[in-house]
Amino acid sequence: MARLSLGALVVASLSLSACNGSDSPADPSDLGTTPDPVTIQTLVVTGRGTITDRYSAEVWARGNHAYTTTWGGRGNPQVPGNTIYIWDVRAAPTLVDSVVVPDVRIGSPVRTLGDVQVSDDGKLLVVPTEPSPGSIEIYDLTDPVKPRNLARFTSPNITRGVHTCELQRINGTLYAFLSVNNSATHPSRLMIVDLSNPAMPTEVMFRDMGNPFIHDVFVRDGLLFTALWNDGMVIWDIGGGGKGGTLQNPIEIGRLVTKDGEVHNIWWFHNPVSAEKKYAFVGQEGPGTVLSASVGDIHVVDISNPALPREVAFFTVPGAGTHNFSMDEARGLLYAAYYNGGVQVLDVRGDLGSCTAAQKAADGRCDLRRMNRLVATGLLGQNPSVFVWGVFFAGDAVYASDMNNGIWKLAPVTR
Amino acid sequence: MRPPETAPVRRDCAPVGGNPTSVRHNRASLWCNGAPSQRNGAPSQCNGAPLWRNGAPSQCNGAPLQARLVVAFLIAAGPAGLGAQVMNQMAHHADSARRLSLGIMAVGVASRATPGALGTDVTEGYLTQPMLFAGAQTRNRRLQALATINFEGLTLARGEINLGVYGEGFSDRRHPHTYAHELMLGALGSSGFGTQGSLFAGKGFVPFGSDDPMTRPFVKYPVNHHHAQILERVLVVGALHARGVSLEAARFNGDEPEHPKDWPNSTRALDSWTARLTIKPREGLEFSGSAARLISPEFAAGGGLDQNKHSATARFVRARGPLRYALVEWARTQETRTARTFFEFSSVLAEGQAAVGPWRLSLRLERTERPEEDRLTNPYRSARPLLDFSILGVTRWDVVTMHADTPAARWRWFSATPFVEGAWLRPRALARPTAIDPEVFFGASRLWMLSAGVRMHGGDMRTRFGRYGAALVPAR
Repeated sequence: MARLSLGALVVASLSLSACNGSDSPADPSDLGTTPDPVTIQTLVVTGRGTITDRYSAEVWARGNHAYTTTWGGRGNPQVPGNTIYIWDVRAAPTLVDSVVVPDVRIGSPVRTLGDVQVSDDGKLLVVPTEPSPGSIEIYDLTDPVKPRNLARFTSPNITRGVHTCELQRINGTLYAFLSVNNSATHPSRLMIVDLSNPAMPTEVMFRDMGNPFIHDVFVRDGLLFTALWNDGMVIWDIGGGGKGGTLQNPIEIGRLVTKDGEVHNIWWFHNPVSAEKKYAFVGQEGPGTVLSASVGDIHVVDISNPALPREVAFFTVPGAGTHNFSMDEARGLLYAAYYNGGVQVLDVRGDLGSCTAAQKAADGRCDLRRMNRLVATGLLGQNPSVFVWGVFFAGDAVYASDMNNGIWKLAPVTR
Repeated sequence: MRPPETAPVRRDCAPVGGNPTSVRHNRASLWCNGAPSQRNGAPSQCNGAPLWRNGAPSQCNGAPLQARLVVAFLIAAGPAGLGAQVMNQMAHHADSARRLSLGIMAVGVASRATPGALGTDVTEGYLTQPMLFAGAQTRNRRLQALATINFEGLTLARGEINLGVYGEGFSDRRHPHTYAHELMLGALGSSGFGTQGSLFAGKGFVPFGSDDPMTRPFVKYPVNHHHAQILERVLVVGALHARGVSLEAARFNGDEPEHPKDWPNSTRALDSWTARLTIKPREGLEFSGSAARLISPEFAAGGGLDQNKHSATARFVRARGPLRYALVEWARTQETRTARTFFEFSSVLAEGQAAVGPWRLSLRLERTERPEEDRLTNPYRSARPLLDFSILGVTRWDVVTMHADTPAARWRWFSATPFVEGAWLRPRALARPTAIDPEVFFGASRLWMLSAGVRMHGGDMRTRFGRYGAALVPAR
């Protein structure tokens, strides 16, 4: 017990000194490797697929295939981020094909496909496009190696592009939830699109929200979570909240601005072992410098009472910031893309809001690092260095999309 | 009370703007393109800082011709209908030249950038800085009005090639300014104990940093324009001057213009502040320090990163001797939110102008850091506002610029000054790895810009941009 307390003290003091240090990014080899009394595993790399002519963005996997998208322009001449890469991931990722998304406006190539998702039935693949005029592109995945374009949805209500797009099935109907950029002609907004006939997508509703923009959503059990940046996380009833909300008319249940705002993405954790649905994990994205620096914590929000969500814990990596999440809910493991901090894996089972005084930050929140919740890291110290945009837990593997290098296949934590 | 200036008006105003041009002499250094307060060794000592001085008769009698040329210029470059208004003003100007003033300027320039973005050489020409100036003041000079209409929205819609310069959605091209560049109304007062005060309001220049580049010797703007000046804001600015020391403070809207027709967002009114202290130990020499807090300049609707800006300058101007003008400045912009600083960009710049016979030779040395933003399909345009507030890197620009003005050709109230200007630029990425490495983006580690053209002025010109009322009172 004495040894544990001493160890915790050492960890706490190291964490504090790291937090109080310079704002400049730490050496990647130092990121997230603060020694803990509990051994922190290193995720084993089992394969890598290299893309260096474009910057990679999000990743999704299903069955034997993974799909990565692309971001911005790279190189000289600039190669736009208008491509979906298709990987055979039965072994190390092998590039088998790619799809170039055609111009939404003739002569103005798509620059970014910032998101990608396969529908729950595996039939559709959907990507949003940026910048103006914006769209979502809907592909038939009958042949998962040869996505066939079914439809393009665009609208005068999404004039500056669609930043993210989440697919969710509600009462048997597939919907796309679009986070739409603000533009000179309209503010940032949420738009919901009905994909029950994917060849004829139809607009269900849109609502202006976000300060200064909406970045992402999470939909589960009839609740809609919106990541509204400095307006925080807002929980809406769209049929499961008992407030009379619908898809057409979401009704706000509660909201919380997590510490420092910048709410970027959300994951509502359902623990299949305990049946607990207590925590939502909020990703914060502070201003960063692509490929070299990032900032932003993971915030743990207790939504036992969704009308009064409260932040109870956080996780920080000195010199790096979090991005997108994926979860192994059965094992209670949160995989977080952490840009220059690689991949960080947290044990999120049990009570995250109760901790000792030594495990608390000055503002009273529990520090998951001091609670020894960091169980593994991955892709640190690579050369060339990584900048991990997204992670996808696929059961027997974890895939990480790396803006700088392409896709990585990692062995998951199996405790 | 200072004695009124009686020295005769010479037609070769000492150039700060780069060209010896014939313009109306102004005791308060406001309208003459040069350093009139020192011309002929007779310091201009105008209590109440009048906007301009009624010049020699030959200049005043030029009003009808001015009117014709101004109208011709406006018809060529501006919206129809404005010309008639100017004609009316000009007619009024002829009646009471002490109360009204008009001036025009424009620079016809051809430039070559070697290489430009993505390694492609750029050669192009246009009319840059086309502007119409107007001013009015009461006979006692207690009330003043200033207007500057900028037509770059018509002539520089794609931006002016200007490697290194960035801002308002442009990179390596200078963005066009707004049509309503400056519309200010103000009042001046004096305590009788040598203290003067003023209060101005409207849209115009924020009291921060150094003078706007368009009144300095070079045609191409320095990289630090968005670090060292704040302009085109709706502001209320107060100024006090006593014994060679002036203090200015202002509240203004933080949002940057989004396009030439843009007006500041009403929801952002007066959300930002600045203060500038200027010490003038003797005529022609001044030191200033300024600080500003801008709320969300890049996100016009609000909610973006804020900026803390600081500037320190030393400026020297004189009408005689080989060295006519010098400026040394340091500026820094920090991008912040909730007391956290995410990005910091600094700049050091030194420039000067020497008279060599009838020629004016100028040199500028600059080292400025700038953010790299996500470029669009047009490599000179960037996503604005930034998505997710991320930048693609930080580039440090080392720039050496040389400029030579030939003697001006004059025709009554109009002057034309041919010039050549060359710049050597070396951009380097400060953070690695970087999503924009300038050596890759330009395909070269060293860049060149060559420009030649004619700077044209007519009528009443402003010596300085960025100061109002009591802040323009000479040293002592």
